[in-house]
Amino acid sequence: MTTAGMFSRLDGPVSFALPLRALAVLGLLLGLCCVLLIVSLMAGSYPLGALDVVATLTGRPPSEMAQTVVWQFRFPRTLAALAAGALLALSGAALQNVTRNPLADPSLVGVSQGAGLAVVAAIVVWPDLPQALRPLLAFGGALAVAALIQGIAMRRTGGATMRFILTGIGIAAFISALTSAFLTYGQIDRAVSALGWLAGSVHAAGWSEAGMLAGTLLCLVPALFAASRPMAAMRMGQDVAVGLGLKVGRTRAALITLSVALAASAVAMVGPLGFVGLVAPHIAHRLARSGVGLHLALSAAAGAALVGAADLVGRVAFAPVQIPAGLVTAILGVPIFVWLILRTQARPA
Amino acid sequence: MRLKCSTAQYDEPVEQRDAPRLQLRDASVGYGGAPIVRNVSLDVPDGALTVLVGPNGSGKSTLMKAMARVLRLDAGNILLDGRPIGQLPTRQVARRLALLPQGPVAPEGLRVRELVAQGRFPHQSLLRQWSRRDADAVEAAMEAADVAQFAERPVSDLSGGQRQRCWIAMVLAQETGLLLLDEPATFLDLKVQVDLMQLLRRIAKQEGRTVVVVLHELNVAAAFADHLVMMQDGRIRAEGCVDAVFNAANLAKVFGLDATVVRDPVSGRPVCVPRVEPAVLHTPRIAAE
Amino acid sequence: MIVPLERPGLSSLAPLLGIAAVSLAFAWHISVGARSIPLHVVVEALLSYDPALFDHVVVVDLRLPRALLAALVGAALAVAGALMQGVTRNPLAEPGILGLLVGASFAVVVVVGVFDLTSPTLIPLVAAVGAVLAAGAVWGIAAAAPGGAAPLTLILAGAAVMAFLAALVTVASLLDEQTFEQLRVWMTGSLAGAQNEVLKWALPWFGAGLIVALAVARQVTALAMGEETAIGLGTDVVRLKALSLFAVVALTAAAVALAGPMGFVGLVVPHAVRLLVGQDYRRIVPWSALAGAGYLLVIDVVARLLLAPVEISTGLVTALIGAPIFVWLVRTRL
Repeated sequence: MTTAGMFSRLDGPVSFALPLRALAVLGLLLGLCCVLLIVSLMAGSYPLGALDVVATLTGRPPSEMAQTVVWQFRFPRTLAALAAGALLALSGAALQNVTRNPLADPSLVGVSQGAGLAVVAAIVVWPDLPQALRPLLAFGGALAVAALIQGIAMRRTGGATMRFILTGIGIAAFISALTSAFLTYGQIDRAVSALGWLAGSVHAAGWSEAGMLAGTLLCLVPALFAASRPMAAMRMGQDVAVGLGLKVGRTRAALITLSVALAASAVAMVGPLGFVGLVAPHIAHRLARSGVGLHLALSAAAGAALVGAADLVGRVAFAPVQIPAGLVTAILGVPIFVWLILRTQARPA
Repeated sequence: MRLKCSTAQYDEPVEQRDAPRLQLRDASVGYGGAPIVRNVSLDVPDGALTVLVGPNGSGKSTLMKAMARVLRLDAGNILLDGRPIGQLPTRQVARRLALLPQGPVAPEGLRVRELVAQGRFPHQSLLRQWSRRDADAVEAAMEAADVAQFAERPVSDLSGGQRQRCWIAMVLAQETGLLLLDEPATFLDLKVQVDLMQLLRRIAKQEGRTVVVVLHELNVAAAFADHLVMMQDGRIRAEGCVDAVFNAANLAKVFGLDATVVRDPVSGRPVCVPRVEPAVLHTPRIAAE
Repeated sequence: MIVPLERPGLSSLAPLLGIAAVSLAFAWHISVGARSIPLHVVVEALLSYDPALFDHVVVVDLRLPRALLAALVGAALAVAGALMQGVTRNPLAEPGILGLLVGASFAVVVVVGVFDLTSPTLIPLVAAVGAVLAAGAVWGIAAAAPGGAAPLTLILAGAAVMAFLAALVTVASLLDEQTFEQLRVWMTGSLAGAQNEVLKWALPWFGAGLIVALAVARQVTALAMGEETAIGLGTDVVRLKALSLFAVVALTAAAVALAGPMGFVGLVVPHAVRLLVGQDYRRIVPWSALAGAGYLLVIDVVARLLLAPVEISTGLVTALIGAPIFVWLVRTRL
């Protein structure tokens, strides 16, 4: 028995039983997103009934006001929330797989903060910055931070999982301080506009933001799913992956770049929403077991539902005051983070 | 290449070649600094179980990583089927040579079947996804490694020996002619070690695959190896069939071990017994190893 | 950790030199400001105060309190950090990283903001309660995790508690913007806004904490070598931990009441001190107090000069310096 690959023949996909449970959960999560969408369109200072919402969406608005409220404000905002949640969840899932670290999250390890710093610096130093450049800047900042953490944490061989997180926490603290310094230095009105964005809020999101988020989602997600097989091999550890014939260095760089791009595009539009990238993949994992590809889909749906719900809660709970969705996700996410700490064996080396 | 002296008859390798499939030519390798393994040449006999032994830090794991192209050579060559391994596309190498690194950790919650299925990675591509052939290979590998009964259980729930067998099933599913295993038996009970080595010997003998194993336990190595390689200080100090290599002189030279080599009356294999200083007075003392 | 306890070459002159250096930093801190005052005038004003001279009034009434504040807060946080590192045997322990600072400031914000209680008498007490609760939460989470309260787990638990409380504070500040507007600067760690009244009430806490810290220092050295070793050497480990916790909390509460959460001071200073005086806590604790005072005095000057006339919160500067050192420690020690 030798190089068996030479006899490769296509008998069609078979064997593994269809992951029915995972598919059912995926359907449920998507349904939940739809429900959240409808409820989000109904709730607010100008409440609408479910029927009114449906009528408005199908082009028969009950009133001029309903038309404006739904189409101008609530619909793009909710779409932005759902898309941002999906992006962050995918980013977190990819990061967790590549770094083999269940605690990896773009906002915990400073990737989101890097994106934030780049955008705040630009707003303060160069106020006339075209909105369209924000994602690029955010991507640059986030990528720089990711490269920095990788460079610092990965240099020594062996399981760098915990060191990766701790390095990220340190770098996140540094960048946050730098961002605050920028805000102090910058003129106050500009700083305030940056400050609102930094809390991670979708309330200012309009059609352009929603469109951009949806666009990124459509561009990057196929790439991510195409990478799900190498990602599965990466999860086994570096040496095993080499043995399986994976170009580990290149794959890792590509997947981290992809993960950073996902997080950065979300952060650029709605600010850093904490803990979504951490929590959503774990929720997906708990709800249904599945392979890497389906897990990505489940994570995205869970992330979308999470941010959609967080935005809704933040909007309704203390109305008329709006709590940014990022704070709600942090308050929801921390207990889950703690639960993960309680289950994760600390491996210093 | 056939072994010059052997204790058993092997199946013929499926592909008859003049040269062995894996050859090292003056290979030097290290981790950036001074090379740890220096100018090593070795012909790995096909269809046999080759065991690398040596004291801690002798470079046996480093050498194995180089053989599996995890580490890049500083100098020299490693030839796989006559071509330098570094020049072959890594996926092609993975279809001919599988590696089980030291102390692999499975992602949490992964089931045995999923772990073993990872071995099919080099045979798949974006266009050629899961096929009947892959499924068959996974079933056969689980059967061979005797883990089929755990197929649906999470790897993390199993005992150390069972887990190691799952990883071996994964490299078996890769369906390669060559298997490299880095300390697969360390930290396991003696009984489990023996079971594991029996499995590896079966793989070499019944399927005619070439298996290279790094081992810690000298007597286990002597009991199972067809070809024994003793390393010290980054070099090969002794090499050959067990009977020719496993003797008191080599053990003293390579390990600094003062031992008597006796013969196991059942298997006829050599066994080493460290020489112990007789007890002085009433204080029991353990002699220096 | 096998380290010689005695460190020869550090002569008896060293404490004098240290005090001289800190005094110099103190005087420099006072001389720097919107109106620069020469050093000799500063010294004159402190030694022979003349109310008729404008510069003397500025020095004593306006700048002296802030300099004292910086010295006290720096000393308190550095000693707290040194004790925590010794007792938890964790090179990364620090009031900020393990959540004590956030806990204390969260408690203050809640009490001031929600219950509208502004009496300076109680603020250190409130801060202390908050610090204890946060420390308990962090320790509880870490101890329940597999592997026990390992350094890494403690820090992750600290990060979790911090993120949670920070989010709650932000929510509260959104709900009641007026009250929290005044707290916003304080929340980033600032030496600018403290009142003399609070200083008076924080002083006893600081004193008590420092005395206890000095008293337990010898036993902390034993504990730093491992719990079993310490017990073998005849240390009452439970009592020692309780006393250390009291000292850490008292010092942290005093610092937070005065200046808000000022991160990484307790991390940076003890490590620098260790490089100079070795591993004996009988030396580390007093030297940390001295070095912490000097460190924060210098940092506060830098915070005022860096982007003058705009003043950066001192806590931001300590984070900008401390975070890279944290990363360096992660890289080299773990």
